[in-house]
Amino acid sequence: MMNTPQLDHPLTGPFWKAAARQELQVTWCGACNHAVWYPRANCPDCGDPLHWRALSGEGLLASWCEVAAGLNPNFPTAYTCALVSPVEAPHIRIVMQLANSPAKKALRCDMPGRVRFIPLQQAAGEPYLAPAFEPYHDDDTACDKQLAPG
Amino acid sequence: MTRRSLQSIARAAVVPDGGTSVALDDIAGVAAITGIGETAVSGPSGREPRQMALEAIAAAIADAGLQPADIDGLMVSGHIADQVTADDFRRHFGTRRPLWFSTDGGAMIWAGTCGHTAATAMLAGKATHIVNVFAVDWASRRAAGTGTPGDWHAGEALKAHLEVPMGWYPQPVYFATFARRYMHEYGLTEEQLATIPLTFRRHANGHPGAVMGGRKLTLEDYLNRPPLAGPLRREDCCLISDGAAAWVMSPTERARDMPQVPAIIDGVGHGRIAGAPYISQQRDMTATPQVFAAPWAYAMANTSPSEIDVIAVYDCFSSTALMQIEDLGFCRKGDGGSFIQDNRLHHTRPRQEGGIPCNTHGGLLSHSYLLGASHVVELVKQLRGSAANPVTDARRAVYAGFTADESSTLILRRGR
Repeated sequence: MMNTPQLDHPLTGPFWKAAARQELQVTWCGACNHAVWYPRANCPDCGDPLHWRALSGEGLLASWCEVAAGLNPNFPTAYTCALVSPVEAPHIRIVMQLANSPAKKALRCDMPGRVRFIPLQQAAGEPYLAPAFEPYHDDDTACDKQLAPG
Repeated sequence: MTRRSLQSIARAAVVPDGGTSVALDDIAGVAAITGIGETAVSGPSGREPRQMALEAIAAAIADAGLQPADIDGLMVSGHIADQVTADDFRRHFGTRRPLWFSTDGGAMIWAGTCGHTAATAMLAGKATHIVNVFAVDWASRRAAGTGTPGDWHAGEALKAHLEVPMGWYPQPVYFATFARRYMHEYGLTEEQLATIPLTFRRHANGHPGAVMGGRKLTLEDYLNRPPLAGPLRREDCCLISDGAAAWVMSPTERARDMPQVPAIIDGVGHGRIAGAPYISQQRDMTATPQVFAAPWAYAMANTSPSEIDVIAVYDCFSSTALMQIEDLGFCRKGDGGSFIQDNRLHHTRPRQEGGIPCNTHGGLLSHSYLLGASHVVELVKQLRGSAANPVTDARRAVYAGFTADESSTLILRRGR
């Protein structure tokens, strides 16, 4: 069963519209000042309406799975799927793929990294931009810092 | 018999944060399983679910020493297509009797909770002899391309929009992700995890009719298999099968005069994670909702893991079985990988020798994928002393049911 992102869906469309702009957004409760994930209309704790908030894209790799070719008919070649906890909301997990999928480097739970946006395309369907987790590695963290534009 | 109040069970049933225990009234000792029936289990067979269900029901009624006209209650799954109706029952068996009918039966968690639903119906005078039945033809459906076990997950709106487009689908991917986290937190090795599929396969090798009954599995075989959803291999994932199983539940006072040793329903628990059904967000990826279900069942039955002789856990994946063994309270969280070594789950190592025989028919991994219905039938056989892989002098048995976001616990006691 294929499900490509639906930009007009009232609950999940804003996530994908933000992804198309290369921005990671989740639903947030202003009163409680925390993320609520998955999206819903109101905060389960205080009942206030939720709003969408952009995150930095930095987070930790909560866990991952190496999916063999052929298991998921939507993505016929091998890839790595991950649960990522954003630094601003460590209690939630956003489902995404690994940026270099399948993983080229050794992965470990709780390794830090950042989200970048990559085109995904299912077996039958149009490509779409989706968040993907790119771990920082000891050898390239320093490099990132030098190259960061400001 | 004096029944305990909800408050007193709730006080005794301490559950961790991150989910809730359903407040089930005390029904300890009200009802018993008095008859069991099964069809053959298989890969794609072309058999119709309703025909399989009726075959299993007929076997269960005969096993209980009853006639179809004695049955006045029917429980089926409300979540799987093509289950039998009350009209199917009457037409097939030629009866006219009204049937109390419930769709809160079947397998998965309902194979556990149906014991509570049935006992409650008996107490309310709605029915006396109640059949629970479950039939599935997913092997045939998958072969024909007309359905897969992943359909529900792909059809749920938020999962369809936020998981499927990322490739977090189907179920092996979910549970591999959780297994990886468990390995990280507790140091579980692949060799330790292999104990689950290897032990269940040995049980299937000794269980006539098990789908994998004729296929041996060694540790070397297992380790040589490539990951399907790393760290899980195909051998860590359940079969997909055709088949049906059924059981008759009767008031315990009547069960004493019926032909089979009754399996008395002593405790039932039902728990779910906060934020269900979204398991990607569950507070603890290394546990199952069994932590919210089992304490209630033990409290209702006034028993504890130390008094349990044999268990059957919903083993959709080896890692899920391992977590549920912990979550039922047989060892501390994280100790499961070492706990299950030294034959501890095998039927030849009884409780007195430190074992806890588990899935003695082979489970979903090696017997068949009847979604837990065969697990309950196997436990009844163990309590009767008629199981193919017998556990010596089994007096108390526990079934752990599972739907990913919910779990159930069913505690059975040998009635004589």
